[in-house]
Amino acid sequence: MTKALKLAVVGHTNVGKTSLLRTLTRDVGFGEVSHRPSTTRHVEGARLSVDGEALLELYDTPGLEDAIALLDYLERLDRPGERLDGPARLARFLDGSEARQRFEQEAKVLRQLLASDAGLYVIDAREPVLAKYRDELAVLSMCGRPLLPVLNFVSSSQHREQDWRDALARLGLHALVCFDSVAPPLDGERRLYDSLALLQEKARPQLQRLIDDHLAQRQLRKSSGARLIAELLLDCAACRRSVAAQAVLEQGAIRELHQTIRQREQRCVEALLRLYAFRQDDAKAGDLPLLDGRWGDDLFNPETLKQLGINIGGGMAAGAATGVGVDLLVGGITLGAAALIGAVLGGSAQTLRGYGARLKGKLKGQRELTVDDAVLRLLALRQQLLLQALEARGHAAVEAINLSTPQDTSWREGKLPEALHKARAHPEWSSLNPGATLEDGDRQEQVQQLAAELL
Amino acid sequence: MHRGAMYRPLRLCSGFHSAMEHRVSPLNTPTPSRLQRLWLSETIRLREEHAGPLDDSEANRRAQAKGGALAERIQNRAWLLAERDGQVSALQHWLHGAHLAGLLLVLLAILSGTSLAVAALGDGLRPVNVFWALGSLLGLNLLLLLGWALGLLLSRDSAGALGHLWLWLSAKLARDAQAAQLAPALLLMLQRQRLSRWGLGVLVQGFWLLTLITALLTLLALLATRRYGFVWESTLLGGDSFIAMTQAIGSLPALLGFSLPDAELIRASGDSALANESARLSWAGWLVGVLVVYGLLPRLGLLLFCLWRWRRGCAALSLDLSLPGYSLLRERLQPSSERLGVCDEAPTQLHQPHAGSHTEGSQGALLVAVELDPQRSWPPALPKGVGDAGVIDSREQRNQLLDQLSRFPPARLLIACDPRRSPDRGSLALLGELARTASATRIWLLPPPPGEALDSARLGDWHRALEQLQLSYSDSAPFSWLENGHD
Repeated sequence: MTKALKLAVVGHTNVGKTSLLRTLTRDVGFGEVSHRPSTTRHVEGARLSVDGEALLELYDTPGLEDAIALLDYLERLDRPGERLDGPARLARFLDGSEARQRFEQEAKVLRQLLASDAGLYVIDAREPVLAKYRDELAVLSMCGRPLLPVLNFVSSSQHREQDWRDALARLGLHALVCFDSVAPPLDGERRLYDSLALLQEKARPQLQRLIDDHLAQRQLRKSSGARLIAELLLDCAACRRSVAAQAVLEQGAIRELHQTIRQREQRCVEALLRLYAFRQDDAKAGDLPLLDGRWGDDLFNPETLKQLGINIGGGMAAGAATGVGVDLLVGGITLGAAALIGAVLGGSAQTLRGYGARLKGKLKGQRELTVDDAVLRLLALRQQLLLQALEARGHAAVEAINLSTPQDTSWREGKLPEALHKARAHPEWSSLNPGATLEDGDRQEQVQQLAAELL
Repeated sequence: MHRGAMYRPLRLCSGFHSAMEHRVSPLNTPTPSRLQRLWLSETIRLREEHAGPLDDSEANRRAQAKGGALAERIQNRAWLLAERDGQVSALQHWLHGAHLAGLLLVLLAILSGTSLAVAALGDGLRPVNVFWALGSLLGLNLLLLLGWALGLLLSRDSAGALGHLWLWLSAKLARDAQAAQLAPALLLMLQRQRLSRWGLGVLVQGFWLLTLITALLTLLALLATRRYGFVWESTLLGGDSFIAMTQAIGSLPALLGFSLPDAELIRASGDSALANESARLSWAGWLVGVLVVYGLLPRLGLLLFCLWRWRRGCAALSLDLSLPGYSLLRERLQPSSERLGVCDEAPTQLHQPHAGSHTEGSQGALLVAVELDPQRSWPPALPKGVGDAGVIDSREQRNQLLDQLSRFPPARLLIACDPRRSPDRGSLALLGELARTASATRIWLLPPPPGEALDSARLGDWHRALEQLQLSYSDSAPFSWLENGHD
């Protein structure tokens, strides 16, 4: 069992230390984030594990606010005729009374950094390089721990990355990572841990494990997400409502269908949010454009007929074969009755009954309402966009994602995937229909194929 | 596929059971096998997918405490939940039923094996027609073997019709919602490794092997205790072709040491049943050999093959962790990040900087800027008589200015701050210290550079902080105050 690498996340107040922790731990509820300075006033830890093994401990610390005065104070701690090194000077400071009064917050940070293997120095890249930041780095460097500067808010238009690079280089800090905690780059964590491994060579194996695990988890989340979307699409494509042919009833049925589809989409959004460990209100599906339903005659859709044929044929054949087996076994005394019963039993009585009900409805003048192709395309598009947005979203982000309808109408065109065409003929595949059989092997196969197409 | 529709569900059960190596003793406290644990995990997953998440905090905690890899934790959790909700006992009932069904099946195999042999040899009063005997011993077997092989080759997954029937039956028979997902879960799990065909295969082959063994034993017993004469009859076939056929069929068993009637004997048996002992022995040996080689051995081979595939498939069975249901459990059972809690408490009160004013002997007016962006042009055009102390940023600049101000305290001091910085304690302490050197102090919160906007939340923070310091502030330059002492 390797010892977890301890990291102190330090920096000026209000630069996003807690946000960085939220994003690195994928925990939207960690600590408290606000625009006020000194929001975090305590030291709080979080642990990252892979397969149950703790690999990294991160500690959120209060912001440094009074570094100029602290450095001044620290330099006056030397008694005449002695010259202390950094840690010795800090030890004297931490023993003294100012460490419990004016510099209490700063003392917390320094104590935590001293207890850690390395520090992440978080920088608000929009800030100019002021003297107080340089003094902060001077104070922190007295701890004798490697520091990795992390530039936050680099996706802002006003960032001064180059100024900071130059300034840090002058202070001897050449390794540096850009990591926006609200919109982290896809390989941001890898770069962060790689740079850390350069500073802490002995921790490289565990950091590499962390990197590999993150990659694997990302793939897994993505394929799970695609599956959720595929389920949504299949559910909607196979959804079917039978309505008597009267204008009023039809309007009502269309509205009800819309409501059902909208709720189903919201369920998918919530599942995706859960999958990516975001809050339930971090994304909202906007209104679906009110399109007319699709009055499909799927009753004679080739897929329906094919399925009917295969089911009945296959079932009858299997049933008859079984019956013949019984006949032979008992020396033919059932006179083929077993074969007949077998054929009827195996002949997918369910399929026949289901189809018969639909046929009866048709003859009685009922119409079948299904979801328009365009709505399916829109759902696919929106959910895919959401999936991408969630992938690129840091857990420090506070603004909700809004799923709107794209302005251009290209989503109305194009071919639907084969699996959805198939689903049209299988009302029993939709959880929105009564009597659904979701564990059907064929359905699972189609979900898988569709999910692969969505990736 | 080929036999008694009414036994289908049972057969599937005992196929499952036979691979479990009888480790389960139903109705006792069970030690779950790997397959059972996987099955229950899948059942719980389906149940949660249908009925929404279960109340699982206790199960999660216990599963997490037990440790292990994620798949193991999921199985532990599923087991705990299944124990609580009754799926475990449903499973035990089900296995018990499977045992009984297996026994019934064995009984049926023995019965039909015996009757096959008895029907083949007849009552011994009439001579045995060798090809009729052969046909009734092997005909059905070979026919159904062919059917099984075709089904295996042609169907994508042979759980198809049988599986559906079983699902339908178990849905009809399921007494409560807790157990409703048991059957679909098993099928789904087996389908993923295409295992159901091999499980069924084990069952079918096992059944037939047992039937044929019983038939063989009965045959031997009958042959040992009764005297049978053997004849062949044909209207169309001549003696020669009959001899060729008999010897062709018998050549393979002959390699294993079973007797093969010679041409003379066969020709003679065409007329009437031979009374001599060697002819009877020869025919009986031939019959037994054919039964063993074309009936027993293929079934045995196929049984071993199916068993091997089943075992291999079972070993490869695992939870598909990419399923959304399991992905969600990952964070709950094996969190990739956990909070460690607060390890250094927040103080009840933060150190507060304070301001004040200097009352005696102050004169003149001074503008000073604190921590300005170097890109901003500074100072602005100043009225006459107002001194400019520049921009202070570093410690040295601070100390220098404070020294100077304490020697020559200004009457009016205007401090310019950029409200885009955050109002931290260090800056506020500096403002307070500067204010204490002057008789009157005001803060000028600078407007943003063109094209940028101030963050209103941060501006609010500045206002609050300055109010606490009791310093007056404005967002425009109070130059007239600075120049004249009044607005």
